[in-house]
Amino acid sequence: MSWKHSTSLAAVKRSIRAYSVKVPPKVPLHAEWAAMAQKELKGKDPEEKLTWHTPEGLDVKPVYTKSDTADIEEEIPGKFPYTRGPYASMYTSRPWTIRQYAGFSTVEESNRFYRKNLAAGQQGLSVAFDLATHRGYDSDHPRVVGDVGMAGVAIDSVEDMKILFDGIPLNKMSVSMTMNGAVLPILAMYIVAGLEQGAELKELSGTIQNDILKEFMVRNTFIYPPLPSMRLIGDIFSFTAQNMPKYNSISISGYHMQEAGADNVLEMAFTIADGLEYIRTGMKAGMTVDQFAPRLSFFWAIGMNFYMEIAKMRAARRLWAHMVKEKFDPKSQKSLLLRTHCQTSGWSLTEQDPYNNVIRTTIEAMAATLGGTQSLHTNSFDEAIGLPTEFSARIARNTQLILQEEAMIPKVADPWGGSYMMESMTNQMYDAARAIVEEVEAMGGMAKAVDSGMPKLRIEESAAKRQARIDSNQEVIVGVNKYRLEKEDAIDVLAIDNTAVRTSQINRINKIRETRDAQKVKECLEALEQSAKTNEGNLLALSIEAAKQRCTVGEISDALEKVWGRHMPATRVVSGAYRSEYGDHDDVNQTLKLVDLFTKNQGRRPRMLVAKMGQDGHDRGAKVIASGFADLGFDVDVGPLFQTPAEVARQAIDADVHVVGISSQAAGHKTLVPALVEELKKLGATDKLIVCGGVIPQQDYAFLRNAGVSAIFGPGTRIPVAAQEVVQKIEQALDNDK
Amino acid sequence: MLSRRLWHSMPVNASRPLIYQGTKRVIASNNISTTDRFSPLAPAYAQNTIIQAPLIAAYSTVASSKTLTLSEQLAQGSRYALAKSITLVESSRSDHRAEAQQLLSYILKKQRDQPLTKPTFRIGLSGSPGVGKSTFIEAFGMYLLEQGHKVAVLAVDPSSSRTGGSILGDKTRMTELSRADDAYVRPSPSRGTLGGVARNTNEAILLCEAAGYDVTLVETVGVGQSETMVAEMVDMFVLLVGPGGGDELQGLKKGIVELSDLVIVNKADGKLADAARAVSMDYTSAIKFLQPPSPLWKTKVLRVSSRENTGIDKAWEAMKSYFDTMTSANKLTEKRGAQRKVWMWRQITSELVDRLNSDDKVKQHVAELESKVFDGKMTSGQAADSVVDVFLNKVKEDRI
Repeated sequence: MSWKHSTSLAAVKRSIRAYSVKVPPKVPLHAEWAAMAQKELKGKDPEEKLTWHTPEGLDVKPVYTKSDTADIEEEIPGKFPYTRGPYASMYTSRPWTIRQYAGFSTVEESNRFYRKNLAAGQQGLSVAFDLATHRGYDSDHPRVVGDVGMAGVAIDSVEDMKILFDGIPLNKMSVSMTMNGAVLPILAMYIVAGLEQGAELKELSGTIQNDILKEFMVRNTFIYPPLPSMRLIGDIFSFTAQNMPKYNSISISGYHMQEAGADNVLEMAFTIADGLEYIRTGMKAGMTVDQFAPRLSFFWAIGMNFYMEIAKMRAARRLWAHMVKEKFDPKSQKSLLLRTHCQTSGWSLTEQDPYNNVIRTTIEAMAATLGGTQSLHTNSFDEAIGLPTEFSARIARNTQLILQEEAMIPKVADPWGGSYMMESMTNQMYDAARAIVEEVEAMGGMAKAVDSGMPKLRIEESAAKRQARIDSNQEVIVGVNKYRLEKEDAIDVLAIDNTAVRTSQINRINKIRETRDAQKVKECLEALEQSAKTNEGNLLALSIEAAKQRCTVGEISDALEKVWGRHMPATRVVSGAYRSEYGDHDDVNQTLKLVDLFTKNQGRRPRMLVAKMGQDGHDRGAKVIASGFADLGFDVDVGPLFQTPAEVARQAIDADVHVVGISSQAAGHKTLVPALVEELKKLGATDKLIVCGGVIPQQDYAFLRNAGVSAIFGPGTRIPVAAQEVVQKIEQALDNDK
Repeated sequence: MLSRRLWHSMPVNASRPLIYQGTKRVIASNNISTTDRFSPLAPAYAQNTIIQAPLIAAYSTVASSKTLTLSEQLAQGSRYALAKSITLVESSRSDHRAEAQQLLSYILKKQRDQPLTKPTFRIGLSGSPGVGKSTFIEAFGMYLLEQGHKVAVLAVDPSSSRTGGSILGDKTRMTELSRADDAYVRPSPSRGTLGGVARNTNEAILLCEAAGYDVTLVETVGVGQSETMVAEMVDMFVLLVGPGGGDELQGLKKGIVELSDLVIVNKADGKLADAARAVSMDYTSAIKFLQPPSPLWKTKVLRVSSRENTGIDKAWEAMKSYFDTMTSANKLTEKRGAQRKVWMWRQITSELVDRLNSDDKVKQHVAELESKVFDGKMTSGQAADSVVDVFLNKVKEDRI
């Protein structure tokens, strides 16, 4: 299998075309109803007028009747093909686990936060790590200055991990860890922290995300190239299968695909296809399917598309059971179960009128539980703006407690079962997703498909189209493109003193380096390097030894990087999708005119560098902006991921852009943007404008403007509006220059 | 042929060149030899310029203070100045173009007086999408840096035809190189006028050399006629192909292989190593039956793996040997001279077409003629003659 060599773009485009599945309803509209509706519509055809054409390519009828479900068989929860749920009694015997994802700043701060939440009714832990840790860097690495402690907690060694879980018994508490890049050191340090607390290996329970395929598609928090990354997963599967029977060794995640703009069918299909690839990975590592398939778990995003989300969860369980049975024929029924965690959509949260987000999250939480999730995270309403405060975290947690204890949701298993509409929609989604999974399998599985770049492009196209639907008001977001407030109130968000966290982390690393046994550390790291070279030995077992000897996250990652290298993705950006979905609207044409006039006056098109700084790999926003601006007539340079301010300044100068657009999703802007201004100044390039977009709280606006930022675009800014403002700012600056 | 006819029917009076600056005309005091006129300098007027003279030229070595500063900074190797200068030559604004021509002719004059210390080498790289051009340039460029060279990469990205904007993504594909101090990577949008290659790439090469970059790599989109364009602005033309079996050779236009001084089969690694060997044999035997681009040089076929970094040194050796062979026979100077002539004609053509297209009188006339041609009431040839006549009459009127 060759990873780096992608098939030609033409082949990718061909395969994309093949994926556009159209699924019309199987049964035509009820004749009597149609006649009555036609009257109410004053003679217009109800099928034409009222059919809902979803972005997924499904046609949803305005009404369903008994004939729609005539061929549906009797099915009960807990029985193959598990459409109605993986367990028979579902929530009636035990409700879903309330598992809130959290982590920020130092391990001490995060530990305090966890313990308070557990006392207030939360049942499981879910740890968020900072981006430096995700990407395998210690806190003292020069590339992570703006990232340490920002979007999660900073971990450098097992000493940090021990403080993180101080007072939390790991032999009892189930812990979920979102980690994909630096899985080896982090899982190893969690294990060693547990052992040093006195727990036994077999008692440890929880989940590690460990889903690297989706990182190559959407989230970009990988370290190594795809091939060695897959070996690493195989090693984790085989170690946990032998030693940690209660531990879920992977959480196959659609979440980040939907967050990156994938529609529901794409999210489901690519995730199921990922799962099939992981089963093959485990079998390649020498196990039978029944030895580890029961430990696979899934992770869905639940957005605002209420019916569709419930149908997705039902259809996915059936599709997984069918596909695993057909392909691997396991002996144990447990290998066929799709057990899942869900999180409400972060993307659906808005910066504008943010209290609306409480309502959104509630509706999404209802969809997740009506769809039969095993555990759930509800987002805090302020997450479109910054990190959650204690107050917003409480409201988020209470949303679930109220659903469980006041609304009586857990009293009936699969309450939507038998609904004409829901059963029909479940079938439609099953068919649409199955077609895509089979196409991927025909390409040779998801690893090959990811290598070709097809899933990534398909998701990005879906994202650009969605942005266009929102910008053109075809899709409504209350408070953003409709019912917008004239004046927004500022709300509190949590501010992290990034510099202080970094200093305290660095102090601790230095102390560890002084006190540990240098010779043993050297031996452990050499053993890791050797195993990477020879493919012999289990990398997780070796990492556990290294963690015991106080090797750091950075050192363990480096030992492997020496052999495997660090993966740098090639960025491809779709073009044309935004414009074609938007259609011919006044503001697009107005923007194009403005850009044309600028081009005539200035002798070239407005040129913008879209850049991301730090270890934040969420590039959906940056790509949608790049694609949208290019469609509106800009020349857009796309910078690589993970840049330092100095590197961005260099690129801005080399390409002689008018403006640098910084996309920030992970709270690093207060450190990184002023650093960029400084670098540009140092190189004498004060003519470059800087604009920012992404997740930036209102209270930072003044700070950024003072630092020299010309414009800030929050979530929900329409691209043509932003483009016009950018053109005007450039023109002003050029005039001033004269 | 249209342009040639146009050219010959215009009064040619090049003995007293004029400097064109903005809307003013100045008669140049210094005499310019005929060879100088075959410089790669485009006339310094852009589209939409009001034509005030029968023939306007801009061979000036009189430089403004701005030009002097810029060229001074260029000579010191300032990337900021280099970037700004390339923007100037790419600009469609007439005053920018005038400044650009001033700068270029000043640089040329300086180079005549005091030749560059290091010899410069211009290499064109082409290949179909997906053969790994950027990956190759990243590996090859880093290798050249290790050898002590300064490397400029001029890459041309396609513009969207509908709105004219483009996505310029080369930085993401050449991460290491674009971070290196001795490398300069500049993607340019292609404006569609001259095939896939930005119209002023040949001028940008001169600027890079003036800023001290001794190896310039010109990467093309690799579709259509751009290969020919690139071959006409570089010393050596390299074709990159993938190990994708023999059908790729069949699919390639014979002309492109004929233009190539070196064929590199990329991705000769892992499971593709055997396929790459087979493809390289196919090319070697195909080339035997083709006219070599120069009698002194036989086109070579080499295998490299940009991923595993093998064969890169062999590729550079082959390029150096080409460079030495051609230089020692004084063929490179000859080639560059001939190329300048070709570019003069290309620029005449494009300039005339641009100006013809932007002429209001012509525009009115064309609308009418097009519908006649569409309905078959007039032949396309008759219409073409008529358009040219209208344009030339307009030019004559303007002169009076």
